[in-house]
Amino acid sequence: MSILEIKDLHVSIEGKNILKGVNLTMKTGEIHAIMGPNGTGKSTLSEAIMGHPAYKVTQGEVLLNGENILNLPVDERARAGLFLAMQYPAEIPGVTNAEFIRGAINARRPEDDAISVRNFLKQLDETMSVLDMTEEMAERYLNEGFSGGEKKRNEILQLMMIKPKFAILDEIDSGLDIDALKVVSRGVNKMRGPEFGSLIITHYQRLLNYIVPDVVHVMMGGRIVKQGGPELAKRLEDEGYAGIRDELGLDIKLVDEDA
Amino acid sequence: MTVEFESYPEIKDYAKSVAEPKWFTEMRIKALEAQPMLKLPNFEKIRYQRWPIQLKRVLKKHFSDSKLLAELNIEETKHLIVQLGQDTVRATGLSELEEQGVIICDWQTALEQHSDLVKKYFMQKAVKYNEDLLTAQHVANLTSGLFVYIPKNTVVKEPLTTYFVQDATAKTDYVHHVIIVAERNSEFSYLENLTTIGSEETTANIIVEVIAEADSHVKFASVDRLGANTTTYLNRRGHLEDNAKIDWSMGMMNDGNIVGDFDSDLVGNGSHSEVKVVAISTGKQVQGIDTRVTNMGRHTIGHILQHGVILSRSTLTFNGIGHIIKGAKGSDAQQESRVLMLSTKAKGDANPILLIDDNDVTAGHAASVGRVNQEQLYYLMSRGLPKKIAERLVIRGFLGPVLAAIPSKAIEEQLRVTIERKLVDGQKDE
Ligand SMILES: Nc1ncnc2c1ncn2[C@@H]1O[C@H](COP(=O)(O)OP(=O)(O)OP(=O)(O)O)[C@@H](O)[C@H]1O
Ligand SMILES: [Mg+2]
Repeated sequence: MSILEIKDLHVSIEGKNILKGVNLTMKTGEIHAIMGPNGTGKSTLSEAIMGHPAYKVTQGEVLLNGENILNLPVDERARAGLFLAMQYPAEIPGVTNAEFIRGAINARRPEDDAISVRNFLKQLDETMSVLDMTEEMAERYLNEGFSGGEKKRNEILQLMMIKPKFAILDEIDSGLDIDALKVVSRGVNKMRGPEFGSLIITHYQRLLNYIVPDVVHVMMGGRIVKQGGPELAKRLEDEGYAGIRDELGLDIKLVDEDA
Repeated sequence: MTVEFESYPEIKDYAKSVAEPKWFTEMRIKALEAQPMLKLPNFEKIRYQRWPIQLKRVLKKHFSDSKLLAELNIEETKHLIVQLGQDTVRATGLSELEEQGVIICDWQTALEQHSDLVKKYFMQKAVKYNEDLLTAQHVANLTSGLFVYIPKNTVVKEPLTTYFVQDATAKTDYVHHVIIVAERNSEFSYLENLTTIGSEETTANIIVEVIAEADSHVKFASVDRLGANTTTYLNRRGHLEDNAKIDWSMGMMNDGNIVGDFDSDLVGNGSHSEVKVVAISTGKQVQGIDTRVTNMGRHTIGHILQHGVILSRSTLTFNGIGHIIKGAKGSDAQQESRVLMLSTKAKGDANPILLIDDNDVTAGHAASVGRVNQEQLYYLMSRGLPKKIAERLVIRGFLGPVLAAIPSKAIEEQLRVTIERKLVDGQKDE
């Protein structure tokens, strides 16, 4: 079992304070969901955990199995077991999807013990069929010209091939049609097990019907303001964020309100 | 003109030792005597004038130790020539070409056995001996080279591969000349590997002349890997007659300072030159590349595509010159030059220069110098790839369009391997 602890995390970007003390602990074997209004800092939290250089941690720590990872560059965090399915994955021309994924797997193995091509292709084929992806996607350049939904599927393909300890999925459901949503959920559910934990950021309760979370966190104004079980997501779907804000007496402006 | 041999004892001795024809020795002396009137050529934004690029050593025959070749990795091909310094050490698979009437021989043999042919083409159509100080020094000091002659209507199916190995284990200059004559309606494909053995500070002055006669098609490819202590002037020039085509694919993977002057003269109507250059500069080296296509004939096509990457404190300059002469109606000049910076201390330059003297033409250019995309790097690294590997993948994507446009898959593959090696070496001093 592994454990990921986020303690009093403060993060700023371009001098703007976005996260104002986030606390969250999760273990492998658990699925957590984060919901929260636009612009509240959910992607900021994911990027800060992963180690995007533009996001500056001004206070607090992130511990993986007790070790602070904030001084590690992004690639070392990845090899330590973190994965982020990005809201907007980059496109890399000239590098095929398959060779990239194989490189990522080999980056975690000793130099003299690279995965055999045969073994790799077998796993890739199986995983792609779970995700209803055509073989052709493996030989295309990484995300180049992929549709929004194809990119999301491709993030889950990488997740399943790399098998991290903890995966943060940032709006993996946005832009997916109903069938694709089921397919992607199937992929994530296949990963579920004692050695895998996931933090799922979503705006829609529907995803959580397919991937049922153990814990739901509500994030507002750069903090986690409430936690609960799956029923909390249903309540948000019905009431929006104003209900919880007012219940907690928070002074936060939501986008659909006039000044 | 009478040439006074006696005033040049070194030239005379050398000429005697290699038994070169009189006309050639006379040309050396003419070139030597022309030098006081000549200047170093000027290339926009390439400041190389203070480098040790001028040939100052006495002309003499140098014998290389053939054991040196053991250091080299030479890939066997059907038609292969290997030269070490001034000597030809291997020539395989040429007899069947000779049956077709093709001539492939080293410089001494060419002067000995094909003197009239060499005289007809050497510094006559493509480059002139008195163009500038470097071409004149070249003629006066020339000691090695290759002569290739493809008779009319002859198609050479398999490419000729050459390895020209500069011997820098001694302080000798490398002055090398290649002539490729493709007669009317012939086809020829050629891959040149320039490398260095040894690390003495030396000067290389290399000129390649490709004479593509009417309706001929020459595919010229090169992988240039001259050493860190070699200062090089490298001039490759095509002379194209009616409907001739040259495909140039050049990989500038040298480790030392170099000026590359790559020109195509589209003299004949309907002639066509495609120039592809990939370059990688590392360490503190300077590579200046001046690629010019001049449209003289009507309906001629000149396309330049060059992409380069710079690491550490290195410099890379790409000039792209598209010159359409008045009267070259219906011609097309297009160019794209791009430089990708991996280090903020590296210097890159991409200069598009279009000189258009006729109205009835099409022309276009694109040029850029930019840093490596940080979001791409972050994405690759977020999957666990170390930074250097991630950088090489982004570079591969950047060079991809040029590599993909190279007509031969085998050469594309060889270039990819060389690029990877040069990058891995270059990243060590990041
Ligand atoms: N590069 C940046 N420069 C300036 N501000 C930024 C930058 N990136 C994010 N921000 C700001 O930080 C705040 C939090 O953004 P973040 O992307 O974390 O929100 P989010 O909760 O993920 O929102 P959404 O639900 O819309 O994805 C926003 O106000 C955003 O404008
Ligand atoms: Mg977001």
